[in-house]
Amino acid sequence: MSDGGKAESKTGKKSRITRAGEDNFGRAISKVAVAQICENVGFESFNESALDSLADLAIRYLLDLGITAKFYSNLAGRTECNVFDIIQGLDDLGMSTGFSGASEVEFNCAISSGVVTEIRGYVESAEETPFAQPVPHFPVVGEWRLIPSFLQMGEMPGFKHIPEWLPAFPDPHTYIHSAMWNERVSDPRTDKIELARQHRKAERALLNLQQRLVCNGLPVASTSAEPDDYRSGLEVNDIENQVLANLSEDEDQDESPAILSGKRSGEAKMENHVTLLETFAPAVEAMKDGHSDSGNYGEKSFPGKRPAVCLEFKGDKNVFGESLDLRIRNKNFGRTAPCFGREDEKDDKKRRVEFILRQSLENQQELT
Amino acid sequence: MNAQSSQQQSSDGRHDDDAALTDFLASLMDYTPTIPDELVEHYLAKSGFQCPDVRLTRLVAVATQKFVADVATDALQQCKARQSAVVKDKRDKQQKVI
Repeated sequence: MSDGGKAESKTGKKSRITRAGEDNFGRAISKVAVAQICENVGFESFNESALDSLADLAIRYLLDLGITAKFYSNLAGRTECNVFDIIQGLDDLGMSTGFSGASEVEFNCAISSGVVTEIRGYVESAEETPFAQPVPHFPVVGEWRLIPSFLQMGEMPGFKHIPEWLPAFPDPHTYIHSAMWNERVSDPRTDKIELARQHRKAERALLNLQQRLVCNGLPVASTSAEPDDYRSGLEVNDIENQVLANLSEDEDQDESPAILSGKRSGEAKMENHVTLLETFAPAVEAMKDGHSDSGNYGEKSFPGKRPAVCLEFKGDKNVFGESLDLRIRNKNFGRTAPCFGREDEKDDKKRRVEFILRQSLENQQELT
Repeated sequence: MNAQSSQQQSSDGRHDDDAALTDFLASLMDYTPTIPDELVEHYLAKSGFQCPDVRLTRLVAVATQKFVADVATDALQQCKARQSAVVKDKRDKQQKVI
């Protein structure tokens, strides 16, 4: 038992598998068989490593017996083995342990050789325990997949000295590396467009809401009359302006930059409050009637300045941080005021005011 | 003549032996060894042993089984001897483990 001492392997299971090689199925079966034999002998449990060693030993014995028997048959000039070959092989293997009648091996009395006697005794005495489970025939031979020859591939070997019936060369893409470019369409652009679309939706919804407020008889500036919390009504109005201005952008007339700038500069005071409302009232009415043409809308409410179109959405920059979250939350309403991307000192305040406005509108809606 | 007669006798003996061997091999067919036939055939094929006869395969299987059983029996005796030496200290019976 040469490797009986090898108990645990160092790295555990993995090294055991790599050591066994391709013979795992056979080893597993032999482990079960050996375990059954040991159980018959009287053992109650096994150590994993001990069982492995014993199974390995059994396999080696089998192999050795086969090799020796083959050797004896070859010695006698045959290729097929005989019962006598096996008996002689058994004698050979049993030499180390010894058996009765070892001195009389020279005689060809196979039946009276000690080993056979012992085996006979074993067969008669030991109880018969067949293997626990049915074992399929193994090893299973898979189909041989031959490499097609040049002729079969329909190719011509590149060189004259290569005949056609030899296996073909592999395809060039398997061994030649060619550069690859990323063919993806630019995603950020589509993202921005999507963001702008959502902006417009939100603006439209907000405007609808204001319409409703107007209908209910409350002045549009009811937004300022709403609960507390504004920094100033003008800021709200500024937001309104932006909202309405950006609605015009929705119709692809980008007047918002000019208009915003104009409005903002002009409306730092409360005096312009009413005038603004007056200005925007027709716009609100227009929206009430239905979504009128952009042309009318533009003409009514704004001076006829139409500078060059330049979309000012900076979608990648979340000026109003919570607006996106709310958009996600209120998909159907789209109530969030869009982010306008203007970097001035009022951004912070505007953000806060907008948030408050949204909250108040929410409350209003729940009430109505 | 003496040699011939002795030869004849030995050949007769051999016939008897052969008959006994045949009987033995036939008796093997009744006994199903614990090691399955497919496993034995696989490893014999691996080592170059070529024989279509099932009885020989059974013989090899039985021989291997006997070998393993011998090893296990010796191990069991070792285990018992080891435990009996310890039992004097511990009264409880221990499990027999390889």
